[in-house]
Order: sequence, then C-alpha cells, then structure tokens
Amino acid sequence: MDSNDTDGRLSPPFKRQRTVSPSPPFRDREIFEDAVTSRVASSLPSPPTLPVANDLRKPGTRPNYRLKYTLTGHNGGVSSVKFSPDGKWIASASADKTLRVWDARTGELEQIFEAHTAGISDVAWSPDSKTLATGSDDKTIRLWELKSGRMIRILKGHHNYVYCLNFNPQGNMIVSGSYDEAVRIWDIRSGNCQKTLPAHQDPVSGVDFIRDGTMIVSCSHDKLIRIWDTNTGQCLKTLVEEELPPVSCVRFSPNGKYILASTLDSSIRLWDYLRDGGKVLKTYLGHVNAKYSIFSAFSRDGKYIFSGSEDAAIYIWDVQTKEVLQILRSHEDVVLGVNAHPSENLLVSSSLDGTVKIWADEETT
Amino acid sequence: MNLSLADPFSLSQDYPEVFSHSLHYGHSSCVIFNRRGDLLASGRHDGTVVLFDVETGGLARIMRGHTRSVQSISWSHDGRYLLSSSLDCKCILWDLEDGSRKRIIRFEAAVYYAELHPSDHNLFAAAIHEDHPWLVDISTPKTKRIKLSTLPRKSTTESEDEAAPPSKSAASDAKALTLITLFDSMGQYIITATTRGWVNIIHTATQTTIFSSRVTKSAIVTARLSMSGRSLIFNSRDRILRTVHMPALTDEDIEDPSGILFQVEHTYQDLVNRLYWNHCDISPTGEYICASTYMNHDVYIWETNKGSLVKILEGPKEELGFVDWHPTRPMIVASGLETGRIYIWATNNPQRWSALAPDFQEVEENVEYIEKEDEFDYKDRAEMTKARLDREDEEVDLIGMDDAPGNFREEEKSWTMPVLLDIEESSEDDDVKIVGPTAATSQKKKKAGTAAAEKKGKKRKARD
Repeated sequence: MDSNDTDGRLSPPFKRQRTVSPSPPFRDREIFEDAVTSRVASSLPSPPTLPVANDLRKPGTRPNYRLKYTLTGHNGGVSSVKFSPDGKWIASASADKTLRVWDARTGELEQIFEAHTAGISDVAWSPDSKTLATGSDDKTIRLWELKSGRMIRILKGHHNYVYCLNFNPQGNMIVSGSYDEAVRIWDIRSGNCQKTLPAHQDPVSGVDFIRDGTMIVSCSHDKLIRIWDTNTGQCLKTLVEEELPPVSCVRFSPNGKYILASTLDSSIRLWDYLRDGGKVLKTYLGHVNAKYSIFSAFSRDGKYIFSGSEDAAIYIWDVQTKEVLQILRSHEDVVLGVNAHPSENLLVSSSLDGTVKIWADEETT
Repeated sequence: MNLSLADPFSLSQDYPEVFSHSLHYGHSSCVIFNRRGDLLASGRHDGTVVLFDVETGGLARIMRGHTRSVQSISWSHDGRYLLSSSLDCKCILWDLEDGSRKRIIRFEAAVYYAELHPSDHNLFAAAIHEDHPWLVDISTPKTKRIKLSTLPRKSTTESEDEAAPPSKSAASDAKALTLITLFDSMGQYIITATTRGWVNIIHTATQTTIFSSRVTKSAIVTARLSMSGRSLIFNSRDRILRTVHMPALTDEDIEDPSGILFQVEHTYQDLVNRLYWNHCDISPTGEYICASTYMNHDVYIWETNKGSLVKILEGPKEELGFVDWHPTRPMIVASGLETGRIYIWATNNPQRWSALAPDFQEVEENVEYIEKEDEFDYKDRAEMTKARLDREDEEVDLIGMDDAPGNFREEEKSWTMPVLLDIEESSEDDDVKIVGPTAATSQKKKKAGTAAAEKKGKKRKARD
C-alpha cells in the first residue's frame, strides 16, 4: 500500500465477472415520486464547500482510510452493506435481488442468498451474527440463516416496497419501514407482525432501535422523525424543524442519547432528542445527497461520522468540529451504503456501480 | 431508556388495571417471570416447561423432561438456569444456553416447591411431600442432600405455647409438613413455612433453625419474598393473607434470636365473600400485593402501606391459580386452572397526541395567545442558517453512558438466552396452538377437566 491514490487497483483478491450495468433498473433507495425529487432538487442551493484538510494530517488524530479490497459480483446497484456484529462478515444487498455475504478479512464471497423476486433495499444482521434479514421491493422481509444458507422465514404484511429494517438488540424483533408509510414490528420467532404503527404520511426511509431496545426511531420523506415506544407502540416524540427536507436515514448514537438523521438537502444532523422539542446540535455538510437514501454511520470510537455521497465519494467528518477530515474516492457512482466495523478501523461501502469496497485506516492497522 | 420520554402520568400508574392478552400453549400450572422480565416460564400439567417471550408473546423455548405436573419454577439470578420441580418426584436444572437438562435430582416423593439459591445455581432448597425439606448441593457430580428441620426452634415454642403441654405440641409439630422453602435475598437464610403455620428461618451455612414464629394456626400454602427482599407474604388456609417485614439478620441475631422482629404488618381478607386465596405475590417494590381467588375469577390487588384494596382485576371466565408480578412493569400474569391459559393484565397507555404534533401543546383550558416580540419578523434565512451552524459548538459524547435511572448497566452484562428460530419445528407433536396477543383465538381444551381435578386434589392435600 505504498501508492497514495485510493483507486481500486489494490489487489482485489476476489475477481468475479464484473457485470457493468450502466443504468440498473434501480429504484430501491431512490424517491421515485418525481414531484418530491424535483422539488428537493430545485430548492437546493449548491452544497457549500468546506475546507478539506487531507494533507494537514497529524498522526493519530485524523483518519487515513485507504482502499483495501473491491468486491465485485453484484449485477446491480448495491443498496445496503453491513458488517456482522461479530465483525467476521459483510452482507451486501442489491437491486439484482440477491444478498451476498463476504468474508470481512479477505473479501472472499461466502454465500449468495437468492429468493427475493425484486430488488433488495436493506439488510440487517441479528445481534448473534447468525441470521440476516432483508427487505425488498417484493414487499416481503426474508430471514436467512448464515450457516446453512437457507431462507428460514418470510414476513409478509407490508403493502408496498420494504425500504428499511433493523433487529432489536435482544434479537427477537425486527422493525421495518415501507413505502406503505407504516412501521411494522415483527416477532422473528413466529414470523408474525406484532404491531403496525401508522407512522408517517410518506415512505418510511429509516428505522432503528435504541441500544436497550425500548424505543424505535423512524424517519420518512414526510420530513418527520418520530420516536416510538417499542412496548406500547405509541409515539413518544416527533422531531421537526422548520423547513426540514425529506429525511432519508436515521439512527441512534451508540449510547442512545442522540439521533443522526440524513436529509435530502445534503446535510446530516445530530439531534439531541431529549431536549424539549428536540435540538440540532451539529450539522454535517459537504457531501451531495438530494435524491437517494444514503446510509450514514458512526465510527466505533464515536469520533467520526461516515456517509456516502452522490458524487461517488465517502465523506468522513469530525463529530465535534464538523470538519470534513477525509474524502474517499474510488466508486464510480453514488455511494449508497457505508458501515463501520464493530471492533477494527475498517469501513465498508457500497455503490450504485455494483461494487462493495473495504477501506482500512492505515494509522492503526 | 424510554423512561426519559415516557408520559409521567402513565409512569405513575404502578399497578395493572386492564386485561391485556392471554397466552396459550398447553395447560399451564405455574407461571413465573425471570428477574429481567423478558421471559415468562410456564410449567405445564404434562410436565413440559415452556418459555414465552414477554415482549412478543411468542414461544421462546420448549423443554421436556418431567412426566407429571410442574409444581414450581425458580430462575437463577442471571437467568441462565432454571429449576423446575414436579409431582413426578424430580427436580430438573435446565441450562437455557442450549435447553439441556444440566442435572436431574430425584426424590422419594412429589416435590411441592424448589427454589434456587440467589447467587449459586448449584444449591437449592426443596419442599417434599410427606418428607423433610432438603437443601441440595449439586456442585459436585454426586448430589449432596442435607436435611432441614421442619420443627420450630425450641425456645420460642415454649415461650409461646406455655399452656399446652410441651410433649403434645411437639408431637403435633412433628406431623407438620414444610410446603415452602424460600431463600432470602442474599441466600444466607432459608425461610420455610409449614402446615402448622410456623415460619422458620434456617441459616443456610449451618442448617440450624435460628428463629421460628407462628404467624397463623392453619397451614401456610404460599409464601413469597418481594424482589427487594424486604417483604414476605404468606397465604394460609384461614382465608387470610399476611405480610411480614423481612428482618435484616446480623450475626448477633444468630447468637441471640430474641431480638429478631418478625411481626405481621397487615392482614388481607375478604370478609364479605369469605374467599380463600389460591396464590399471591408482592410487587417488586413491596408496595402492592396481588392474590388469585378460590372458586372465583378475579385477581385482587391491595396496597401495603395502609392495607387497602385498590383493584379487582377481571377478565377470564375461569378460576386462577398461580399469579406473578412482573419485576419491572405494572404487569400481572396468572394461569387459569381449567384451561391452563395464561392471562396478562397491564396498564392502559393512551396516546398523547402532542407527541405526534410537536408544535401543539396540550392545555387544560383555553389560553390566550400572546405574540412574542420578534415572532413574525422577517429574517434573512441564509444568515440565520449561518448563525445556527456557528452556534453548534457543543461537545457531544456519542459513546459514554451515564448511570441515569433506567440504564440497567448490570443487567446488560447479564446472560441473554439465544433466540431460537426453529422452535416451531421442534414442537410439531403439540396439538395445542399458541395464541399470542395478536393471533386469533383458537384453542383446544386439552384434558381440562382432569387437570383441574388434579389441582383441586393437591389443594385438599395441602389443607390437611
């Protein structure tokens, strides 16, 4: 790794037939109502340019991620990518209707899961890393067993595309958001839908459980972020800001005190939801995000925030100063998914160009 | 963590008020929550032990091992082990990591009650039909059984029953049976209750009875300790429930038990209907008690401060046996004697509509709105945005946890049972369908009549 560029030339160990699909029939994580897209796009100022201090790097204080592997094989945009909680695997879900699991250390393909009849929008790992859940445009959620490669459950109930989903920390429930504007809570043992929350007035673009599983946060293109009590299914709070654009991704901070929400005005906001009415503590700017639901992630030490961008790059911000610390370029199209490794300084990203890339922070590896 | 956002009014409701839902998977004879309250163990009449997920109402595990009705279930402190006792003369210690039978302990007769030591899952106390209670040590491959005394401590006997000839009272006490063996919260002492109404406190390490008190003249059939370990409740055949403050025992008390205060605080009874109580429990804080009623369908709740009745829970159309109070939530679970269904009562939480529309406030009466000075002033948006971004200089900590109430750090570390996904397949031979909170209510009455008769038979035996 002596070269300074971050191009994907660095020894991809796993060479699969890479199918270049110039325009994949991909609408999974894209707002497909033209009205919304155009409104957002037209009202957008060009994203402000922030100083990028890539060459002023001080050892130990700045991330220095370099491309490690490029994983090819998906025949369509890769909408979501996640490390398993035990750090051994990477799961990637794609518009090509498949879920692929890769070895996080070597980048080798481990398993292909096929059964969905339409593109997959999101994938989630169970806390024990044994089970995967995928949400698809075929309106179903499917559970897969990693070891056997079998599909073990099919959760039916959503009336439209399943957009996002997550396991609870106990591993007995799944929360899912859908284009049918509802949030559903599922019992994964029986596969029954436990609760249907009439959550939003537009597609639900993000759902997440808090670290102890007692609350759920959901966000939607209806510009609202709502917090729910898992047990009673009741709305506890709604976060709203004047002229908040459609919200495309939401997650609780690792300690559950804050909420990170990406919005389609190319900004990511960190909310203190406990304060009266909710307060935005930080706004992270610099990337481009006006059209797609792009994932954001926290680094495991809580110092950085990662996000994909529509200019085919991955942005890394300092949580406190909001400064862009590093921009990773190598993907050839919109970066949709990013995820941080649970115990090492590794980053994985997925893109509309059909590839998954693993990045390593060189300072520490 | 939801406490920070929850409605303070709904939080102040600390006992259940409405029937919530029922669970059904076979004929349940006893029900008990684990300490964290995420699992509910149900012992069935056919000897199977079933675990329910409290949150989802789904089946979490099915464990087969007993051949006759399960009498009691005790959870280990970390929730990993479970001890079940049964009429088939066995106690089984289950390891919930894989659902295996870690140890099977056989006795000469049916086991009424068995409880695990609060910090050591290799030690338990058991009350046996027509036998002495036993303290059983299974830490070594060879089971070590230590006999515990049913007889009350001598000195107190004499001082209380001076009128009766000592020989006669001793003879009748000798016929007494211990029906309940409890550990105190630290496990230093065993509290036993007998058919003669005696409560004995036995030192666990030396197995000597250090204190005895006769709280009633009739048989004590249920005794329970609150989660806090400070209150005891006794249910006896004289139709009266009694609560006792559990004394804090020191080493001096062992030497000289005369200083131990062990007095009935309150008695609870239904004077009008003269009801027997089938079973009872204390809320985790000790503020409330609940009891199921004999030949009646209700669960009564009293508060313990003044001893007044606060609620009669209705719902099922059958007599209820076991009751258990959830360790953290205002929730009571009870098993039906006839159908073996498990009934759950909880609180009713109305949706606060202001949570859905944050711009609105809920007010009691009309309030005249006063416009703020700069409320509708024109402001330059770009400038405002810039000013707002500049203000975002607060330090945020995304990782650190503080020890606010509601953050159960200790419990997060404790053991969690793996989620099984193939449980439905492993239980195909069961013809009884599970009925969760959302599922339809189709059920089969399986041996309901005989099971109820069996239960009654046991009750009669206990009363003798």
